[in-house]
Amino acid sequence: MLGWEYPPHISGGLGTACQGISIGLAKKNHQITFVVPHLFGSEDAPHMQMVGVISDSLEKDTVRPLQQQKSKRRTKSKKIIRKIKIKSLLSPYTNPTQYQMSYEAMLNCTGLKSTEVEEYLVDDTSKREDFIKRVSFQSYGKDIFLEVERYAQQVRAHFAEESFDIIHAHDWMTVPAAVLLSKVKNIPVVLHIHSLEQDRSGAHVNQQIAAIESYGMSYAQRVIAVSHYTKQIIQRNFTLAAEKIHVVHNGVYQGKVREHYKKPKDNKQRVLFLGRITMQKGPDYFVEAAAKILPHFPKVEFIIAGAGDMLPRLKARVQSLGIQKNFYFPGFLKGKQVERAYALADVYVMPSVSEPFGIAALEAIKFDTPVIVSKQSGVSEVLSHALKVDFWDTKKLADSIINALRYPELREDMLSMAREEVKRVHWDAAANSIDDVYKSL
Amino acid sequence: MSSICFYFQVHQPYRLAPYSFFDIGSSKEYFDNEKNSLILKKVAEKCYLPTNRLLLKLIEKYSGDFKIAFSISGVALEQFKEYSPQVLDSFQELAETKCVEFLSETWAHSLASLYSEEEFLLEIKLHKALIETYFRQSPKIFRNTELIYSDTIGTLIAKAGFSSVLIEGCDDILGWRSPNFIYQHPENNLNLLLKNYKLSDDIAFRFSNRAWQHWPLQAEKYAGWLHELPKETQTVNLFMDYETFGEHQWEDTGIFNFLEKLPECIFHDKKYSFNTPSEIIQEYQPVARLSVARITSWADAERDITAWQGNNMQKSALDKIYSLEKRIFEKNEPEMVTSWRKLLTSDHFYYMSTKWFSDGDVHAYFSPYTSPYEAFTTYMNCVNDFEKRI
Repeated sequence: MLGWEYPPHISGGLGTACQGISIGLAKKNHQITFVVPHLFGSEDAPHMQMVGVISDSLEKDTVRPLQQQKSKRRTKSKKIIRKIKIKSLLSPYTNPTQYQMSYEAMLNCTGLKSTEVEEYLVDDTSKREDFIKRVSFQSYGKDIFLEVERYAQQVRAHFAEESFDIIHAHDWMTVPAAVLLSKVKNIPVVLHIHSLEQDRSGAHVNQQIAAIESYGMSYAQRVIAVSHYTKQIIQRNFTLAAEKIHVVHNGVYQGKVREHYKKPKDNKQRVLFLGRITMQKGPDYFVEAAAKILPHFPKVEFIIAGAGDMLPRLKARVQSLGIQKNFYFPGFLKGKQVERAYALADVYVMPSVSEPFGIAALEAIKFDTPVIVSKQSGVSEVLSHALKVDFWDTKKLADSIINALRYPELREDMLSMAREEVKRVHWDAAANSIDDVYKSL
Repeated sequence: MSSICFYFQVHQPYRLAPYSFFDIGSSKEYFDNEKNSLILKKVAEKCYLPTNRLLLKLIEKYSGDFKIAFSISGVALEQFKEYSPQVLDSFQELAETKCVEFLSETWAHSLASLYSEEEFLLEIKLHKALIETYFRQSPKIFRNTELIYSDTIGTLIAKAGFSSVLIEGCDDILGWRSPNFIYQHPENNLNLLLKNYKLSDDIAFRFSNRAWQHWPLQAEKYAGWLHELPKETQTVNLFMDYETFGEHQWEDTGIFNFLEKLPECIFHDKKYSFNTPSEIIQEYQPVARLSVARITSWADAERDITAWQGNNMQKSALDKIYSLEKRIFEKNEPEMVTSWRKLLTSDHFYYMSTKWFSDGDVHAYFSPYTSPYEAFTTYMNCVNDFEKRI
């Protein structure tokens, strides 16, 4: 399984999803080697073998051969994680703001045509290097592409002699690696689409990434989309046979709630936005809705938790609307802080412009907070017990937030039904469906 | 001889227009006249007009031996008058045959029997006046909204002056007893006509179900089941929504052909006559007293009232609207009283039910909303505006 991040070092939902999927598949007796660019040592993954393949110098000898690790597994602990010291140009997961900056900059790089990207993906080493050289001309942008290419090279280097049945790759970053290894080993690729370039960037799509996605999906024997919403986007924008695309909804693990939080009894009502502060997540619509609510309910507090390129602009907008007194920006939250934020809110709002899935909405429900989600999200396909709005309809969004705040009986009923519903949105169900996809190969 | 009692419920609510928080105080109209008119005309085309035509034809064909009963809610009658007078005409035509009995119910098809005795009695009076005006007969027999009933409600109905009431023949109430007999309230002289839910639902729900072992149901087969019943049987009460014909069961399921052929198949041997509830009460004596300790209805497998009063939203909305009763009558503005009554219609609360709303089962019931939550917020915003106007 080729991934890009793993909890607790995550910048978004991808790592969490990979954790859920791999645990579910392990329960079904699949033996998984999960590959990421970097390991941090705090990953907790006793259900599989985890490998971090990148070292800055690209020297092979910094990584122990896999055989060695396998023997270790047999003799010693159940927990198999290799720690590799790295000096990377980019460590995207510890600081999401920085990651986001590089990412946004990368989106601006132009220069390669999609046909060239394809050549890069299908051809030999010399062209690959050429590709990297050319994208290297872009500031920042080189980092992510370089990382992607290094990852691909290292995956080939490490696993060319290993035996696998299936390459399960997650999102575009792992496409070059998947294609390379698949060609060397002649094994099928299942490409799991958690998010598309179009979701992340809307109108400003990076053509190189879109081309990698396109090639990856046409190369893969099976494509898994995390929602019908994403499947529709794939069908609209890529030429791909519908039968090849399988929808497998994400899940959540129950019983992960270790601490119970009580809502504060201070008569203050809190509305939470939690996610990357980027165009994709629609935080600006959240602010506009707040501006419509506050004249009628001046005491409501709006919390925008997260980091991202839109944050300064968002703060400026809040200032210019004169509603900064009602806003709180705690920044990027981690672990317990996230749980607390969900738990203390009266309602969680996910106004995403384009959300392939949106696990956060299910997480909020786990912490007893009812949710409002945009109709442009995958999670709205599995969650009937939520208020749903079009992301652009800020008046309806404002109305929904007001309704949720005004009527405690609405919150109670919605939440108690949603809790039951979320129990059925389980990673084991996702793993079953993925297992079916494997079997169809 | 035994009787067959066909009774049809005719009802259409005044559906609400989308109503947001920002509409409160804007004097926006609560009811979606356009939608209500559209739905009524559609149901008229698919159900009311063709079924009325067919029933008239059958009554004429059997020269008075084919009889039926209706109860038409006040809000449905008002909408017929407003949006589709020809439907009203066709019911009047049926009334003139003297083979059709019109029963009493609450004007708004409300849950007043559970919340306000005063309003309950007022609505019955209001509805009675409408029936007398349109159909020139005075209703003698009562049927409560969705057959909601209990001993307590029975006492209330007796107090309102009725000799008989239609109720659901629930298994847990009947025990070993059969629904095909007349029973009586434990304390009052109130006769109970019990719905034979098995035979009723064979038509109303299972008729078009291809997974059902008896599909496709033919009139001959159905009449055969009736003829198999013991000869002591007093009455087989077939109670159902009138919209069964053409709306719930579409024409292409063969439901109209079934209905057309059924009398002939039943008359085939001389065991049964078709009778109206009033005739049945005169014909047969109650066999025993029957106590209904819990609140029953004809809804769902549970035959209870959780479809209207099952969650917090429903309870809260019901409490809210009935809490305005005193103030609305003090205000004494007829138009506002009518608006308030239209807000009492049970359908508004039914739409808020979360019982079936999951697994994409949204379409298991008819709702103009995309979710029970939308039903609730629309309703509450209207009611909050209404309260401000009082």
